[in-house]
Amino acid sequence: MNLFVYDDFLNKSRYNRVLNKIEIRLTDLGLNGKIIRLGSIKNINSLVHQEVRNGAKNIIAVGNNETANKVVSALVDDSLSDLFLKNILFSLIPIGDNQSIARSLGIEKEEEACNTILARRIEKINIGLAGKSFFINKAEIIKPQIGLDINDFKIEIKEKNHLNIYNLNDNPQLLNKDFNFNKEKVKILINGKNNDLSYFQCDQVKVNGDAQLTLDNAKSINLPTNISLVKNKLNVIVGKNRLF
Amino acid sequence: MIIKFMFNKEKKLENFKDAETIIGASIKVKGNFNGQGNVIIEGKLDGSLKTAANLLIGEKAKVTANVEAKEAIINGEIQGNLKVKNYLSIGKKAKIVGDVECGEISISRGALVKGQMTINSENPKEKEKKNPETPEQNSSNK
Repeated sequence: MNLFVYDDFLNKSRYNRVLNKIEIRLTDLGLNGKIIRLGSIKNINSLVHQEVRNGAKNIIAVGNNETANKVVSALVDDSLSDLFLKNILFSLIPIGDNQSIARSLGIEKEEEACNTILARRIEKINIGLAGKSFFINKAEIIKPQIGLDINDFKIEIKEKNHLNIYNLNDNPQLLNKDFNFNKEKVKILINGKNNDLSYFQCDQVKVNGDAQLTLDNAKSINLPTNISLVKNKLNVIVGKNRLF
Repeated sequence: MIIKFMFNKEKKLENFKDAETIIGASIKVKGNFNGQGNVIIEGKLDGSLKTAANLLIGEKAKVTANVEAKEAIINGEIQGNLKVKNYLSIGKKAKIVGDVECGEISISRGALVKGQMTINSENPKEKEKKNPETPEQNSSNK
């Protein structure tokens, strides 16, 4: 059974037309299913868990990074047994801005996404864990003055750098760089002035400092925090042009 | 990009593609770094560095550490002992204060090395002379 989770921003009238087109396309492809809207729902975790227990197998977030992060965080939450999770397929129909997760998964916007869901190209992905919060793509801080602890060494980062901590790559330009983007590791990219670049990969990193870390450009958490990967956690539908 | 230029400059440097770690000019690393992959240093490192693969130290890098690698190209500053299993290239702007141990070496004019140097190279032809039975063993196996 398909479960479509619509984000609350889609209630705005300017999204009616695109939603209609998507719904028609899904019906044509025989992919229609139950729709839930996040507008009035406060506890998305218990709602998603209930639908999974009732037999939902394909969970499709309809919206942007925030929607995807909310739905995936609910799915990989400890209170949902791995027995349920192993039969679940997650996918995304991107609408609006803030779409780095869709870019990473290689899913095109709106109606094109319906074709990708039909094609069912499946990958098992790791999920990033920052403290108690999950992320799909990356955690980032712009202009941080922070420190990182990795194994036996520490990294001092100056204020004018941009820190990205990746699970899945969302930047096509990184594919052409001369470093090894190992998908089984936490990947740390620090961009400085004059194209200066630092790169580390590790199993776990502790981020120290007085700042906020943004996860998937969807939510923020306070420092200090530990970041690691939960391995092989979720089956997702991806497009041909995925970036990992 | 500067790193790319360095990669293409000399054939030997091609081994440094797919870096596992890059320490850029704008950051500082303190502690004991242990890696399996290629390492590029353009910034500052204090502590120790050990990698099972290759190491490239750029012109502006300042490394205060004992360093171990499989192959290395040094263009910056090292204060500490340097142990390289195979090939070591010391560039013209390199400054090494510490003992150096390696398999093969090339040193450019202008480089500064202050310390004891040990080169454990074995000529491949000499190796063959020392182990003449190896090819016969191979042929008898066939």
